Amino acid sequence: MKKLITGILLVVMMLSLAACGGDTADDDSSNTGAVYHVGVCQLVEHDALDAATEGFVDALEEKLGDAVEIEVQLAQGEPNNCTTIINNFVAGNVDLIMANATPALQAAVSGTDTIPILGTSVTEYGVALGIDNFNGTVGGNVSGTSDLAPLDGQAAMIQELFPEAKKVGLLYCSAEANSQYQIDVVTEELTKLGYECTPYSFSDSNDLATVATSAAENSDVIYVPTDNKCADNTGIIDNVCRPAKVPVVAGEEGIASGCGVATLSISYYDIGYQTGVMAAEILAEGADISTMPIAYAPSVTKKYNAEICQELGITIPDDYVAID
Amino acid sequence: MNIDALINGLPGAAAQGLIWGIVAIGIYITYKILDIADLTVDGSLGTGGAVCVMMMLAGYSNGMSLAAAFVIGMVTGLVTGLLNTVMGIPAILAGILTQLGLYSVNLKIMGSRANTPINPNNYDLLVSLRNVKNVPFYENAIFITAVITLVIVAILYLFFGTEFGCTLRATGGSEAMCRAQGVNVEFNKVVGLTISNGLVAFAGGLLAQYQGFADVNMGRGAIVIGLAAVVIGEAIFGRIFSNFALNLIAMSLGSIIYYLVLQVVIWRGLDPQLLKLLSAIIVAIFLAIPYFKGKYFNGVILARHSGSEKGDAENAGN
Repeated sequence: MKKLITGILLVVMMLSLAACGGDTADDDSSNTGAVYHVGVCQLVEHDALDAATEGFVDALEEKLGDAVEIEVQLAQGEPNNCTTIINNFVAGNVDLIMANATPALQAAVSGTDTIPILGTSVTEYGVALGIDNFNGTVGGNVSGTSDLAPLDGQAAMIQELFPEAKKVGLLYCSAEANSQYQIDVVTEELTKLGYECTPYSFSDSNDLATVATSAAENSDVIYVPTDNKCADNTGIIDNVCRPAKVPVVAGEEGIASGCGVATLSISYYDIGYQTGVMAAEILAEGADISTMPIAYAPSVTKKYNAEICQELGITIPDDYVAID
Repeated sequence: MNIDALINGLPGAAAQGLIWGIVAIGIYITYKILDIADLTVDGSLGTGGAVCVMMMLAGYSNGMSLAAAFVIGMVTGLVTGLLNTVMGIPAILAGILTQLGLYSVNLKIMGSRANTPINPNNYDLLVSLRNVKNVPFYENAIFITAVITLVIVAILYLFFGTEFGCTLRATGGSEAMCRAQGVNVEFNKVVGLTISNGLVAFAGGLLAQYQGFADVNMGRGAIVIGLAAVVIGEAIFGRIFSNFALNLIAMSLGSIIYYLVLQVVIWRGLDPQLLKLLSAIIVAIFLAIPYFKGKYFNGVILARHSGSEKGDAENAGN
């Protein structure tokens, strides 16, 4: 009797979960003539990563139209979920995996050495995959696009806008490998230019306000890299830094529009789109992924946040574009 | 979206489930045997992963690295145990404190990098997501983790069968009774927490190899997945298995079932934003099963009188 009840509950649960599948999933494309199946594993829902996925999907659909079927899965911020998702893609024998963010890429590389893998929103592939003497091409079944903005350019931007400043505070989340890498490089560049750099790292959004306050008190300028946690919490940074009259230079446009004065911006949509173009070449034109070098953002733009600049009384050179 | 994809995905889910099964066995020791909800695991899983990966990158052998993960994991459990017994901090808070502190420790272990890869192309990994199909059985991740699980179960079975092991089991059952018998309850709790976290960290080391990286966030939600496995294992196999060793194996099976269900959900192509909600629903349903059984079916009450005092205590405890 008890076993029976347990069994019934189990079956009901399985069925109800199965019924949770969205309507979009019911198109059963196995008979609609889709030739290529592509799986996208994205680490977390977030403006920048969403834009990259959107760019990827747009590019693929533009190039291949109905011939491609794309399945997007989100790991909801848990690296462990990436493994489950990748396992599912590999089992479904997809033709290509797009891994959006570092842990997704690592899980994909662990999952298969045959299915082509394209990464995006990964800053440095050599670091992400533990490759010594990385030469720009991963080889094997892996390639992709990097979200690395020119860090020397960002250091130069700080010098251009704030030549008088002496102390630069570097605000970032210690849980993000990408941020740590950028902070290391930017510290080197800024030290060369004669600035004194101090890292201010926080572990999650709860201690961000405290760390940001301490950074604002002890710095003339604050630099924020392309950090997911900062991007999620620009409001906190803005509330601390604006009253303290400390300008923030950001690594990407989303952060700059929320709390920064200026950024040397790359577009995540563009790198996603570029990844989609690479995917189309691999799928339809038979390009060899093992010889494809990692691609970078096609263009960078100097942008500024008009509202904050005005409030802090910062004059911006003419070649900067205002963020809408 | 065809059924082949689901079937092909099952081995991977089973391997992942087996690794988490070791976490579940660790959690079983604290949650079921000692009656402590130990939240240290969210930190110690990452500690194990970090230690294992850093040791392997430094050139140590696989076995050494996993052993180190186990030992360091035991230390994290020891810390929680001492916070609880020596400093008198409630167990759940002690676990939270250790977990909080371990975040920084894990970062430092990995040389201040939040994410450290261990590339299966360059290292000889014991288990890898790649090795679940089309490899000789002795390289298969499922086979290897199954063997490891059996070894762990055998050791724990022998350990909990000793005189000391029995007092450990009795500690969670009735602390006052144990104390009256002259058992050092505090010491037992510390030992239990130490073993539990050692196992969790060991599983963390395996998991890092399996997924190809250690990440400072990899332990996030570990307690929920582990508890889910414990609860599922108990709900389904609790009445069938009465032997202690089989109970431990039930934890492993519970964990596999959790991942199979999750695989079905993902295969079914759900709205990906609902993933966490569905994980929570899976756990809630299995948590409710013993309660409903106790409330609506007389059979359980009869079973209680016929000497299943363990289930009785559990129902009361939940």
